[in-house]
Order: sequence, then C-alpha cells, then structure tokens
Amino acid sequence: MKQDRRQFLIRSGCTLGMTALATQMRHFGLMSAIAQNVSDEKQDAVPSDYRALVCIFLSGGNDGNNTVIPNHNDATISNYTTYFNARNTQGLAIPQASLLPIAVPRMGGLTYGLHPSLGPGGGTNNGIHELWALGKMAVVTNVGTLVAPMTKAQYQNGSVPKPFQLFSHSDQVSQYQGGRSDIETYTGWGGRISDLRTLPDNPSGLIPMITSISGAQLFTAGQTTLPLAIANAGTGLNNVLSPAGYNATAPSQARLAAFNQLRGIDLSSQIVAAASHVTDQAIAANAVFQTFQEVTATFPNTNIGNQLKQVARVIKKRTDLSVNRQVFFVQLGGFDTHNNQTAANGQTGLLTQLGQAMRSFYDEMVVQGIGDKVTQFTMADFSRTFNPTGTGAAVGTDHAWANYHFVVGGGITASDFYGINTTNGTPFPTLTFNGPDDADSGTGARGRWIPTTSVEQYAATLARWYGLPDANLATVFPKITNFANTNLGFMQPPA
Amino acid sequence: MSSLKSHSLLRLISISVFIFLSLISISAQEDPDPNSPTPILLSESDSTRALVASTGKRNSSRSAARIYSANQRIEIFVTNIDLIDGEGANAFRVYIEDAKGREYRFPVLDVRPSDLQKDVYSVVVELADDLHYWAEPPTTGDVLVRLTWRGLSSNRVRLALGGTGGVIKDDQGSAPTPLSAVNVANGSRTGSGPTSELVSYRWSGDRIRFLEQGTFGPTPALDTRIRRIGLRTWLAEQFEMPYPSVLNPYPNIPLMPTTVTTDCQNNIPVNCVRDHYSMYPVQTWFYKEALYGEPQLRHRVSWSLGQIWVISGVDTQQSSWMIEYHQQLSRNAFGNWRTLMYDMTLNPGMGNYLDMIRSTRNNPNENYPREVLQLFNIGLFMLNQDGTVQTDGLGNPIPTYDQTTINNFTKVFTGWRDCRVADLNASCPDATPNGPDYKDPMSLATGNHDLTAKTLLNYPGVTNQNVAACTGCTAAQIYTYAYNSLNQALDNIYNHPNVGPFVSKLLIQHLVTSDPTPAYVGRVAAVFNANRTNPTQMKEVVRAILLDPEARGDIKTDPRYGKLREPVQLTTNIYRNFNVTDIAGTGRSDGDINRFPSGQGQNAFNAPTVFNYYPPNFIVPGTTLLAPEFGIYTTGTAIGRANLGNSTIFGQINVALPNTPSGTKINLGDLQAIAAADTTSNQLLDHLNTRMMHGAMSPQMKSTIMTAVNTVASTDTLGRARAAVYLVATSSQFQVQR
Repeated sequence: MKQDRRQFLIRSGCTLGMTALATQMRHFGLMSAIAQNVSDEKQDAVPSDYRALVCIFLSGGNDGNNTVIPNHNDATISNYTTYFNARNTQGLAIPQASLLPIAVPRMGGLTYGLHPSLGPGGGTNNGIHELWALGKMAVVTNVGTLVAPMTKAQYQNGSVPKPFQLFSHSDQVSQYQGGRSDIETYTGWGGRISDLRTLPDNPSGLIPMITSISGAQLFTAGQTTLPLAIANAGTGLNNVLSPAGYNATAPSQARLAAFNQLRGIDLSSQIVAAASHVTDQAIAANAVFQTFQEVTATFPNTNIGNQLKQVARVIKKRTDLSVNRQVFFVQLGGFDTHNNQTAANGQTGLLTQLGQAMRSFYDEMVVQGIGDKVTQFTMADFSRTFNPTGTGAAVGTDHAWANYHFVVGGGITASDFYGINTTNGTPFPTLTFNGPDDADSGTGARGRWIPTTSVEQYAATLARWYGLPDANLATVFPKITNFANTNLGFMQPPA
Repeated sequence: MSSLKSHSLLRLISISVFIFLSLISISAQEDPDPNSPTPILLSESDSTRALVASTGKRNSSRSAARIYSANQRIEIFVTNIDLIDGEGANAFRVYIEDAKGREYRFPVLDVRPSDLQKDVYSVVVELADDLHYWAEPPTTGDVLVRLTWRGLSSNRVRLALGGTGGVIKDDQGSAPTPLSAVNVANGSRTGSGPTSELVSYRWSGDRIRFLEQGTFGPTPALDTRIRRIGLRTWLAEQFEMPYPSVLNPYPNIPLMPTTVTTDCQNNIPVNCVRDHYSMYPVQTWFYKEALYGEPQLRHRVSWSLGQIWVISGVDTQQSSWMIEYHQQLSRNAFGNWRTLMYDMTLNPGMGNYLDMIRSTRNNPNENYPREVLQLFNIGLFMLNQDGTVQTDGLGNPIPTYDQTTINNFTKVFTGWRDCRVADLNASCPDATPNGPDYKDPMSLATGNHDLTAKTLLNYPGVTNQNVAACTGCTAAQIYTYAYNSLNQALDNIYNHPNVGPFVSKLLIQHLVTSDPTPAYVGRVAAVFNANRTNPTQMKEVVRAILLDPEARGDIKTDPRYGKLREPVQLTTNIYRNFNVTDIAGTGRSDGDINRFPSGQGQNAFNAPTVFNYYPPNFIVPGTTLLAPEFGIYTTGTAIGRANLGNSTIFGQINVALPNTPSGTKINLGDLQAIAAADTTSNQLLDHLNTRMMHGAMSPQMKSTIMTAVNTVASTDTLGRARAAVYLVATSSQFQVQR
C-alpha cells in the first residue's frame, strides 16, 4: 500500500529530479546564482562522516536563574545564600537540598545545582542531570545577545551599541535565531550554514539540510534554504507530508497530476510561486519518507518528546537520504512565566519535559551509534529577572538578558562551565541587584545580567564542530569579528 | 452561459428593483470604475531599452545603449497612470531582475509630470539596493526594470547597469513602448462600459475580490446583492447592522470558580471541560457567525483586531474570559481607537492574559505595558505617516522607547484587579458569587497603585509627558490620581504619531494585501488621524481601506500583491462559496470546523503567544516577500491545506455527539447542473473562475484542471464538480488572495 502510493507519486512525475535546489530555481529563477555557488564550492572536500545539530528553543525565555544555581557557600562569590535571599520571600527559591549537584572544574571544583526537574521524573528516564557526571553535558554561562562586548558602564553611557530592543520577546528571539544583534535579518544562522553547506554536505538534496518540527522559524531560513517542516512523532514519517484522498484509479491519478502541474504555472506572481515552492518541497520529501524505521529508545509522550522523537526518526534515515550534515529545530513553549512559574504548567513542569526528552534523544543517538555525532543545544528568548514578580503560587519573573544554555552529546569536550569571564573573574555572574553584572541600576534594580558571551560565540563554536570552515564564519555571523574568541572550547575539535 | 446568467440575474433584479430604486440611483453615481489604468514604462523607439534621462537630459534613442552605474540617479518615464491627491513617489515601486534571476528594489525618490508630453510622468530612481537582501550587488549588464502601482505591474524594459548585454531575455511578447506608439487617453480604464441603470456595480471581478476582503468569503447571494446595491451602500448597511446575528447570540458561559480538576470532576456538569475550560463554545459560535452571519464586516474586522490585541485560550483557559473579551472587541470594531484602548486595558481577560490584573506597586509586571506599546499601538521604531521606518543619520531605525519607558508605564498600570465591590467606587454589576468578575472592567485597589512620578513616551509634539507623584494622598485622591494617570498614559500613547500608520498597516495586511505601498498606508493613516475624536473613527478607517484604489480593481498584476489566505479564511471561503449546510443539507452547520484551521497552524482563539499566529513582519525565506501568513505556511501545513481541501470537498463532518450535533458539508448541486449541461467542462471552469478566482484563472490553469476533470465520467457530475473545486481550492493560485 505504502509502496503503491510512492510508486504512483513517482510515476506522476512530481518527484523526478525535483531536488530542493531544482524547485528553488524554477520558482525563484535562481539558476545562475546556484550555478555560481556550485563552482565556488567545488574545492571543498565532501565529508564522509555524519554530524547533526539539534536546536532546542525554550520559547518565552527560560528563567536561567532557577535552572543553574550556586550550590556552595563560598563567600567570595555569589553562593546559595545570595540566591536564597533574593528569591525566597516571594516563594521562588528552590531549597538547597532539592538541587541536583554538579561539580564544576572551571569554578575550582565548586558545586552548582540544576533545577530538580532535570533529574529523574515522569518515569521515562533519569533526565539530563546524570549526563553531567558522564561527561556528556556542558553549560555555557552568561550567554546573551550582544553587538560587541559591553561593560555596565558602557551599557549605561551608550558608548557600545546595544542589541536592538532588549527584553522584547520577538526581537530577542530574532537575534538569537538570526545570529546578529545590530540589525534585523531576513535569515537565521542555521539557514545561512545550510546555504553554504548544502552542496558539499547534502548533495542529493532529497530533503533540505534543515528540518523543523516546530514550523517555520527564522533560525531555519536562509537565502536559498527553506526548511522542511513536519509534524512531530504523533504522525509517522510516511504520513507527515502525504496528500490525502488519492487512489490508483485513472481519474484520481489525473487529478494528482493536475495538482502537481498547477504548481508549475502562474509563477509570475511571486506570492503564488513562493506557496508553490513550499508545496513542491513537501511532495518531494513525501516520496522519500514513505519508508522509515521506528526508534529504539522510549520517548516521553510530550510535545517536546515527540518532536525529538521525530528528529531521531529522520536521523535514522540519514543513509537513505545521503545526507552528511543536518540541522534540526524543535521548540518548547510556555517559558514566559510572568506568573505561576512553579506550577505544573510553569517552569517546573516544562523543565521536566525538557530533561526527559533530551535524555531519551541522547540515549537513542547512542543506540544509533552516533552519540558523539549529534549535539543538542538550547536557546531561549532571554533569561528572566533575578527579582521575582508576584508571590506564593502566583510567583513569576519578568524579561531579562544573559542566560545559561545546555549542550548535550558525546561531542562535547568535558562537563564544565564555558564562556567568557564576568567581572568577578569567573564565567558565572555576580548575582547582586545593581551589582557589576546587573544592567539595571538604582534601588529598583531587578537583576538582568549583562552577557559576557555573545550568541555568536556560542553559535560559532557549534558551527565549527558541524564543519563550517573558519573562512565562512563571518559570512554566517557578520558581527563575530567584534569578539576576540570565536571558539568557546566546549566542542571537541573536528576529527 | 454568461448571458444566460445575466438574464436570470436581470429577472431577479427587476423583481426587487422598485425596492432599491432610490438606492441604485445614488450608488450608480457613487460607485466609480474600481480599475486603475495599467502603467506603461516607456522604451526607446526601436528596442525595449528604457527611455532614461540621467543628467536632466533625455538620451537620444539613436545613440548606443547608455550604461548607468550603481547609486546613480536616473529618470525613467511612465504613462497611463492617473494620480490622485497625495500620490507621489511612495505610491510606486521599482524592481529590477538581474542576469542571475535575483530581484532588487530601487528606491523611488520622486514622481512628477515630465516635460515630454502631457500624461507622461518622470520617475526618479536611485540605482541602489533598497532591500539589502542579497549580499552582492546586481550583476553587471542588462537588467529588466518593472514598475508597480496600486497592485498593477508595468511592462518590463531593459536597463544597462554597469555594463550592457548579458543573458537576460525580454519578457515573452514584449515590444518597444516608445512615446509615439503608446496611444493613451489618460484615465482610460480597462473593463469599463456604459453603466446600466439596473446594474449598479458591474465589475464582477472586483465584487468577488471585495467580498474576499470584507467578509469570510463570497457567496453567490452576497455577490448578487453587491451587484445590486454597490460597495458603498453595502458598507453603510454593514456598519449599522446588529451584531452578532439574531440567530447566533454570544454564548453565555459563567466562569468556573477554581480549576478544571476541581470544577469539572468526571466532566460534570455535562461537557463541563469542553464548555468551560476550552475555546469550543467561542469557536463554534465564531464559525457559525462566519458561515451564516449577516454582519460579516464587523465579524471580519473583529477577527482582525483580535489578531492585534491578542489574548489566547492557551493561557486564559476559560472560554468565559474570551467571550467577554470578544464582546468588547466587536463593540469597538467600528468605534474610536482610543475607546478601544481603554476598554482593552481594563478588560479582565486581557488583564489576566498579560498580567496587569496582578501587577502591584510592590510587584510590578511589565507584560502589558510592553505589549500595549510594542504590539498594539506604536511598534518599536518611529514611523513616517506612510508607515515607513524613520532612520537616523547612519541609517539605523530610531527606537520609539526604551526599557526606562516600559518601567514608567508599568508603574502607571499597577493596582487594578478583577472587579471587587470592596474596591473604592467599584460597583461590579456583573460580579458572580464564585470566582473573579470576568465581565466588568477591572477595579482599583488603591493601596496597590504606584504613587511615584512617571515619565511617559517622548515624541515630537508630545504634551503631558509627565505624571507627578501623589504624595500624602487619601484613598479617594489615589483613585482619582490612578484613573487620571491611566488616561494620561493612554492619551500619551494614542497621540503618538505612530498609531495611525501602525494600526492602518496592520489592518490593511489583515484585510487586503501583505505589503501595501506606503502611499496606501498613508491614505488610510490620514483618515485615522482626521477622525481621532470621531466616535466612529474605525468606520472611516475600514471604509478607506476597502475602497482604496490599491484595494480595488478586477485583477491585480503586481507580482508581490496579495496575501496568503490564513487557514481560517481558507476554510470559511470554501464553505461559504459552496452553500455550507448541516449533514441533512437543510439546516445549518454546528460550527465545529476549527479542526481544519487548527491543523494548519491557526487554532482559533488559541494563538500560541501574544505575537499572534504569525508575525506582521514575516519575510518568506528565500525571498524578500513581506507575507505574514507564510509564518505558518510550511511543508507540513502546505500539505495540510491540500488535505483540508480533500476533507471539505470530498468529505464531510459527520454528526457525532456531543461536539458535532449537526455536522457540516458543502453542496455542489448547482455545479453538477453546470457539469451536466456542458460535458466539455468549459462552463464549469468558467463558472469557478468567476466564483472562486474573480476571473484571474489563467488559460493554462483552466486547461490543466479541465484535463483532469474530464477523466471523470461525464455522468458522474458530482465527481466532476468535486475534482474541479478541489483543484482550484488546493492550488497556490487560490491559496493566495490577490
């Protein structure tokens, strides 16, 4: 049955020779531009191994201050008491005994704590906390949007340009995903990597280099890259892009042929052409998705669990797809916790979903034999104010700036903190209202840490591991030249 | 076929003509030809090379091709346009395509009457990339230049940019358009003719287009009505029509006191979860009104406003909040924007969604203050009155405010909570014994209001920017102070010069086209501003949007004109166009059709965030197209849309208790009659071309569909009708409303 559908899709002529690039040419008239790219890229070696980046976007802005917490009493830097005093009155401080301890070499072996939701929970697995001890999880600290390195004094006197519209959801999301903070971009850094690497790393073009399980996102958009966007694992790969209602009868096949042919005409309207182009990509991918193998690991039956499970299914087809490099985007929403942050549907519950799903995905990659070839990493709009808003059950936090992010996979260097040192000489900020790392000042300061590590530095480290040549770094991250260090060291050097 | 149709129409009309006679004579005068002339770019006499002046002098057409360099300013010449007051450079866009197939937009600096001849205009263009999409400049050599105006495209002419020659080919069938050959009577229109006394609005393409913009989809009956009374009379009727329809009152769902687990144990009372803790009652009410309601325009505008002033069932879980919220929105849809601002600010549903309901001076919450500025009223950057972004000397956009401004507005908005009679001067007539008052405007807990001084938005012409502190105030004084501060803050926002163009552009995007010209935005913004104190300001704004020459006309040819139909519109357009009924075919659908839009990324009343289903500034990847609805158009939802077509056209929603007591289906009987009468399917396709695509179906599209339709046995008229409707409805040509 499935084979039949595939067969007649192919017979109808809709998939033959329709790689992503070919359809792009037809719809956007990019033939010569592509040809130019081909000749530019010819000297690049085609890598024979497989690597994938999986971006997990914590939409709404995860409260990093309750995700990675000082779990020590060292009086020379911000410690658990600092944290407790800032958040306990309102009911937001996590008891020290509940924190999941991690020993941090970069902090002189001091212990920090992860949110308790990142341990065993939901019954699926032991969560990602366990991966720290196994050396499979890194934390990148005090990361945020920056145009250039910026001190508090520079923030206040305006001598260094600020990222546009700090603390605004849509703009901070677009800077994280766009990979620059000086201007708005039409494209994301995942998409730009794909623009440059599709020809050497995805020569068959059976599906695009980028797949989103969470719709169209700036991160996934390039100048010539349109992502594949498919539903989560609630739907089998063979059905995610399958047009319904066709059978093998002659009228039905004639209708299918017409359905496909209509996308090749009336392209003088660019909006019509853009719509047709997306559908073409879907039909082409549908043909190759007709067969797939189920994953081995058990995934939690949550939205994010099913998103990562679908990613794992696509990765399992990598040989069929003849693709050497892939970028994935998944998203977990609900982190805009202005209130009810500790509720089951607040950060507490969301981090459980996150930790369980990331762990299942890691385990599945190990089963597939590519635990060190696939790297999960988190991004978010921003972190949240150290000073809570509201109290008790309703307690929440407002929009802030620098955050902590997780990098999970066998490709990391070692479990540690990574990032540029803050004013205190460590990569962990000073948790003091109106302190040296707080963008806020005065008595009403609420604790919005000024990043020391830029999104571009974080992203460039990942991009390098993925195989982006150094020569292309500035193409993908136009403002990376504002930062001295373009490799934070948390990924192993390419083999 | 068409003559048959008009005969029967004429009969219909003559029956009722005496009723409408007076209206018709008025509207026949008031409804002008909606079509603008198609601009023609002038070329040299013997080639398609643009006629250009660069240094104040026109090139001799006999000299060799002149080469123009990057950043140079040149004049090209356009004719067959008919400018209205205020229509200048910002009504035109100039695009070039280079030899690599890349498109660039060049800024138009000026448009003025030329000295060549009456009715010829000089267009001053700077040869500099305006979009900054491509990293490289255009290739050197010949490029093709296109000019667009009011959704219409000119012919394309050649221009030598940095060099001459190259691989680019003229458009098929293009011919030189020298001044001598272009015989244009200014103001001549396409498709116009003598206006019959009995037919007030004869432009059939424009009628259907108008209904696509102002309703949830054209129906044959509405088309007939517009033909009879014209657009303007129809608008006037719509503005005054009671809302919602008599047969479809707002659902009355009391708020439940605590949480779904406590309130709805074992789903008792019956359907407790569905009715109280989901958007089901709002959605089914909404779709019934969209499918059958008479006051279509208010419903459509309210739906658009709800996508600007967003609240969502994802967070505001109970349907009762949303119902009250929608009543406020729809009541204000044709009212005054400032009144809307006040009502939205104190609406408990909004308060609950964006946290103002719990923002106090000791625990202030920035959520509402930020979005009331950024998303609902002024946006992030200073705008010109035509909606374009103002930039500083370095070309950077000028921000409208910073975090300090947010902090100050946050203070103003502290202290309100769900209406409680215990609060000073609060009456709360709709308070219920259990749970918060979700109907009445929020009331003020005076002790929770911030009493310090505040500095509001600063902008050219600002007055009353400062709110003084309230020191030593009694509760009564605080009450007065807080409401005065709130009103001062809302005035401060409303009087910001951005509001007119910001709101106008968003509404144009929702109703007509995704990327309106600045001239169009400017015309609507001017109406917004001229009616600032008018209690029915939004009537004038909506009228201006729908009657604008950039909205009107039978067929639009600008390659960038139009908008992708949002899933809700796609669904209701298919249903309305084909006589949607219940399963029995005699009654009305129960409105349980949200499954279709929801599967395509638009779960009505459950927007994922306050940023709506898609952002207003979404650019289609791989292009420079500004097209918000593409934000939820992906490989997955593209196939989903095709499957939506399959489900609605080949399938039906069966009766299934409790949610679908009546079911939903389309009825194709009239199409079957046409298919039976003409087995070549020509008439069927012609009919669908008019009915679904307002005459914009290309001959190639028609023949492609006909070939497929004719593989269905001619005796199977339903099969033929379904195949034809499916292929039109699932085509990109239909998915885009233009």
